[in-house]
Amino acid sequence: MLHLLSQLADPPLTTPLQGARPSLANRLPSYNTNISTSAQTAEPTPKRPPDRQFVVDSPAFNEAFANPGLRRLPEAEEPGSSRAEKLFSSQRKERPKEPKAMNGDTEAGASPMPKSSYVSYDSLVPAEPNLLRDLPFTLQGLSSTNFSFESDKVLKLPDTLPVPIISLLHALAEPCLLYKRLSEFVESNDGGLVGQSFRSALSIELRAYLGLVATLEGQIRRALAQLDDSQPRKGIGKAGVTLKRCVVWTREATMGLRLMSLMVEESKDKKGGQLISVIHSFSLTHGDPFVVSFAERLLSHVTRPFYDMLRLWIYDGELSDPHLEFFVLEQQERLDDSENNNGRKVAATSVWDEKYKLNAVMVPSIITDSFANKVFLIGKSLNFIRHGCHDAGWVGSYSKDASRELQYGDTATLETSIDEAYKTTMARLIHLMATKFHLFDHLKALKKYLLLGAGDFIAILMESLSTNLDRPANTQYRHTLTAQLEHAVRNSNSQYDPPDVLRRLDSRMLELSHGEIGWDVFTLEYKISPPVDVIVTPHGSKQYLKVFNFLWRVKRVEFALGSTWRRCTTGSRVVLSAVQDKVGRDWKTARCVIAEMVHFISQLQYYILFEVIEASWNELEKAMHRPESTLDDLIEAHAAYLNSITRKGLLGSSTTDFTGQLHELLKTMLAYKDAVDGLYSFSAAEFTKRQELSAKIENRTAAGRWGISEREDDGAQSTPLLKPTKSSSRTPFASSPLLSLPGGLLSSGSSEEDILGRLRDRLNSLAGDFKARVNILLGDLYHQPDADMRWLAMVMNFNDVYTPVRRRKKTTTTTTTTTTTEKARGPATVEKGRVLATAEKGREGGGGGGKEGKGKERV
Amino acid sequence: MPREIITIQAGQCGNSVGSEFWQQLCREHGINQDGNLEDFATEGGDRKDVFFYQSDDTRYIPRAILLDLEPRVINSIQTGAYKNIYNPENFYVHKEGTGAGNNWAAGYSMGEQVHEDVMDMIDREADGSDSLEGFMMLHSIAGGTGSGLGSFLLERLNDRFPKKLIQTYSVFPDTQNAGDVVVHPYNSLLAMRRLTQNADSVIVLDNGALSRIAADRLHVQEPSLQQTNQLVATVMSASTTTLRYPGYMHNDLVGIVASLIPTPRCHFLMTSYTPFTGSSVESAKTVRKTTVLDVMRRLLQPKNRMVSTNPNKKSCYISILNIIQGEADPTDVHKSLLRIRERNLAQFIPWGPASIQVALTRKSPYIPTSHRVSGLMLANHTGIATLFRRIVQQYDRLRKRNAFLEQYKRESPFQDGLGEFDEARAVVMECVQEYEDAENADYLTRDLPGVGGGRDNRGESVAT
Repeated sequence: MLHLLSQLADPPLTTPLQGARPSLANRLPSYNTNISTSAQTAEPTPKRPPDRQFVVDSPAFNEAFANPGLRRLPEAEEPGSSRAEKLFSSQRKERPKEPKAMNGDTEAGASPMPKSSYVSYDSLVPAEPNLLRDLPFTLQGLSSTNFSFESDKVLKLPDTLPVPIISLLHALAEPCLLYKRLSEFVESNDGGLVGQSFRSALSIELRAYLGLVATLEGQIRRALAQLDDSQPRKGIGKAGVTLKRCVVWTREATMGLRLMSLMVEESKDKKGGQLISVIHSFSLTHGDPFVVSFAERLLSHVTRPFYDMLRLWIYDGELSDPHLEFFVLEQQERLDDSENNNGRKVAATSVWDEKYKLNAVMVPSIITDSFANKVFLIGKSLNFIRHGCHDAGWVGSYSKDASRELQYGDTATLETSIDEAYKTTMARLIHLMATKFHLFDHLKALKKYLLLGAGDFIAILMESLSTNLDRPANTQYRHTLTAQLEHAVRNSNSQYDPPDVLRRLDSRMLELSHGEIGWDVFTLEYKISPPVDVIVTPHGSKQYLKVFNFLWRVKRVEFALGSTWRRCTTGSRVVLSAVQDKVGRDWKTARCVIAEMVHFISQLQYYILFEVIEASWNELEKAMHRPESTLDDLIEAHAAYLNSITRKGLLGSSTTDFTGQLHELLKTMLAYKDAVDGLYSFSAAEFTKRQELSAKIENRTAAGRWGISEREDDGAQSTPLLKPTKSSSRTPFASSPLLSLPGGLLSSGSSEEDILGRLRDRLNSLAGDFKARVNILLGDLYHQPDADMRWLAMVMNFNDVYTPVRRRKKTTTTTTTTTTTEKARGPATVEKGRVLATAEKGREGGGGGGKEGKGKERV
Repeated sequence: MPREIITIQAGQCGNSVGSEFWQQLCREHGINQDGNLEDFATEGGDRKDVFFYQSDDTRYIPRAILLDLEPRVINSIQTGAYKNIYNPENFYVHKEGTGAGNNWAAGYSMGEQVHEDVMDMIDREADGSDSLEGFMMLHSIAGGTGSGLGSFLLERLNDRFPKKLIQTYSVFPDTQNAGDVVVHPYNSLLAMRRLTQNADSVIVLDNGALSRIAADRLHVQEPSLQQTNQLVATVMSASTTTLRYPGYMHNDLVGIVASLIPTPRCHFLMTSYTPFTGSSVESAKTVRKTTVLDVMRRLLQPKNRMVSTNPNKKSCYISILNIIQGEADPTDVHKSLLRIRERNLAQFIPWGPASIQVALTRKSPYIPTSHRVSGLMLANHTGIATLFRRIVQQYDRLRKRNAFLEQYKRESPFQDGLGEFDEARAVVMECVQEYEDAENADYLTRDLPGVGGGRDNRGESVAT
């Protein structure tokens, strides 16, 4: 049965008491039921082995040795023995029978009874000297005649002994079993380096124990030699070595063994840092100086491999940790550097971000978390310098110079050397980033090109690309884009940039989707290569692209509005002033709307470029040039920089969709610009027509005929037409307003009239649309928590011309109504300046209505 | 494609201002008196090719054309310290060298004679630039050459380059004190017509205000011409900084003026500049505190304006662009704008969005200054109409007495009578009217001054 028990995979279910009970059951039937039930509940196999045995890892045992409980050690140990003693006091004789009893329940129940009545030390079977003789072997964990180890957890005592002896043997059996298990543990070789050093430390301790055993054995031998058969108990008492004495002698060793065994138990399934933590916890929190000093002694051995790893890590940046014991974890390499080009990108980031991870569980309690973090950063940086930045030379010389032996206990030196290493490595890394990899240059270049800092370059690029990009996306060719890019670089101040920066600049097209024009798909790109992409991560590059695309759109609208402005302003010197009578009002309105748009765009740009980008850039620079900044700080600062740009730049707001609104606004502006261009061509056509007419008249007059046909009655004195000044154009064209009358007198004018009417409708509806959208946008901006965004709204509406619409829900309905009303009225009243009048109505209430009335009057 | 700007300096005033301007630019870009770069001028970031081109021997040559009808000022330039930077082919002095005698008509009609030569020079310069942005004319409108020849050139440029921007820096006469040119109202009015009709943006500088500022800021009783010219040069260089030091925005002339000029007729801009100090103008009072707010507030003060106007209560800004040079922190601008709005320091038009736009630019690294920031305000203010009105009034007074008309009648533009005067007056008055209209909220729905007349005529014509 014992055998059976020992074979059971996990026998901790029974407490020693429970184990003892079955034998009691014979004497004390009252326990019988108890036992059988416990046996039945505990194990599916009904035949519970009733034996006294040391189930070393039983809960009670553990409890006894538990950290806080060790104070009560004797007591806790006692329950087994003292109670047993109490209970067994009358049954010393039953012991010898036990092995037999083990054979079967029924037999065991019957046989011990008769022997128990007679107790004498002389008649001990086996005799005490024999027991003593065997004892040293047992203490070394070897089976002997009288004591045989059934397994590493079970020591079989002769069952012929009386209870007091058994109790003594109990006490003696403990170190035996502990030693046996410990020595087994020490022999085993699984677990990592720290585990092994733990084992070796234990084995040193065990050797001391064996020394004790050897002394004990000597004593025993000497005592046994003096044995005198005549004496009672063969004079063993005089010889000075008895079982009791042995118990006393081994007591301290037992404590040590217990402690070790406890450590072994606790450290089960633990390795590396955790193991150190476990042992350290003994030295740290325990009140018993014995325990503390013992743990300290162990620690200095156990931490040796840890410190070796630490040294290698902080001075060489290499992780030599075959058993994953260090608190830095090397991630599985996902892509090898050399594998493919695509992989390169991932690899460099992973060296920093992915390759190593701090494993908080493994941080031994001998170092603090911040300390561990520093250590982690040092090693990571060194490793990064070596592999990411290919500066192994520096790392080598550094490790040669700085490397020193580290060991447990010398906390002060350790900290100073770590701090030193930390400073040196960080400084070196930042230095490398700044000088060898031109991190700051790249950041500046990104700001310059992707965030439109180089205004001249962008302007030239836009101008030279504009005709190209007006065409559909699928007609864009990369080589033309690249050529224009080159051109822009050559002709702007960018030509003075370092060639490395320019080499990285590229223009390309985003993925095509159907029906887009070049503007939608064009993008600039700035290639970031390792190791700088640790800071400008692929995600960051994406954010840059996003910002660039937005800014590019805004710039494009600015450009478009600018060119339209230039056209109508320069045009007004000649062409437009000549036809002012006909389309003057349209132009006035259109110009004012364009001015409004220009104002909107320039305020938006100012906000994004100066308030957002410049301000964030200042923050970034501050963060980057802080002396104690680490690479992680840089990464963080850069991420914060990008985030603030995207968020404040109206691109990443979670609550309100500014991006969509702005895109709509920009689209409206472009549409308006197109409409204005239409108006311009209309006016230009009108102008040429009139010029031709006047030229004809001049020819005719020169030919001596009447200058005009009957149609142009009023244009009789139209000779000064060629000089299209205000005053001169007024009189000769007095007739032309007739053309603009609905159903004009001229048949040819009607189609022209249609065009003009349509143009006006379009201009009006777009202008209204624009205004409504701006109102919504401003309303949303006013309700932003961010002060800068509210500021943008304030600047856009500096003189309170707009009436920002408060609530989003309401606004959509109201604006749709206004736009619909405008649309409804639009065609009916083909009068100029309509929309703005309506828009103004919102602000001025009754006054606007009056104007409207006036407007209607004219029709 | 540097978006070049060709500078045309006409007349005595234009040339003296221009000479100061080029000296200022050379100092800012680190170009020495021979046109070569100074050794220290290694910091890039500036664009010299907007105003300069490089000759074969890599000297920087101003894109400038210097015109005068009398040789005095041009001679002094040709013998001055910076004589070597100019292209000698770009000087034009009328052969007879008699000048226009403070007579607009003389200048204008002489324009006909010199037309060929001058246009050749302009064409040559224009062909030498990749993407000509426009022209910048420096002149005064009170005298004869700058006013008359300038007017003539404006018209010609208009025909020759209909799509190029034409900006002028026009020095107006001192309308509040009696000037040295008696007939300046005539000249001014006639030139103003061209400025209204043939220029895209006119930066108005007024001699009265200039000498007031010079006296005020520089503590001199009678500021010399050179000192006031330096003021003008400072303003000019400041207003072109965004072109010369490219940044995020306002990198071309269109970008600057498009935001300032909503309607083409209202294109007269006034300027303020602060602080004037020793480096820009000799012996200027040190203005100790130059925060952005301080600068922006000073810019709004009428006493810093380089134009004397008598704004009334309704006068308001149509637009403002503040060009802030130096180490200006965007957050300071942010705060300043809030403050200005809170205090309502600037009155804007009621009919459209308008605000103080700000351009932050770098400052030349080669010129040490004692102050951190300096600012230039370009503003479109309806108050400028009062200046025009005053000119018209002075004109009316002269005209009523038919004073000094003889010398005008002698010249070709007035051979057919004095109609030119009436037309000019009408044009200027329309412009004044437009500015005054812009003060009202119903500006957009109001009749165009010109068209309103046209409509009335129509009514008549329909009736008849």
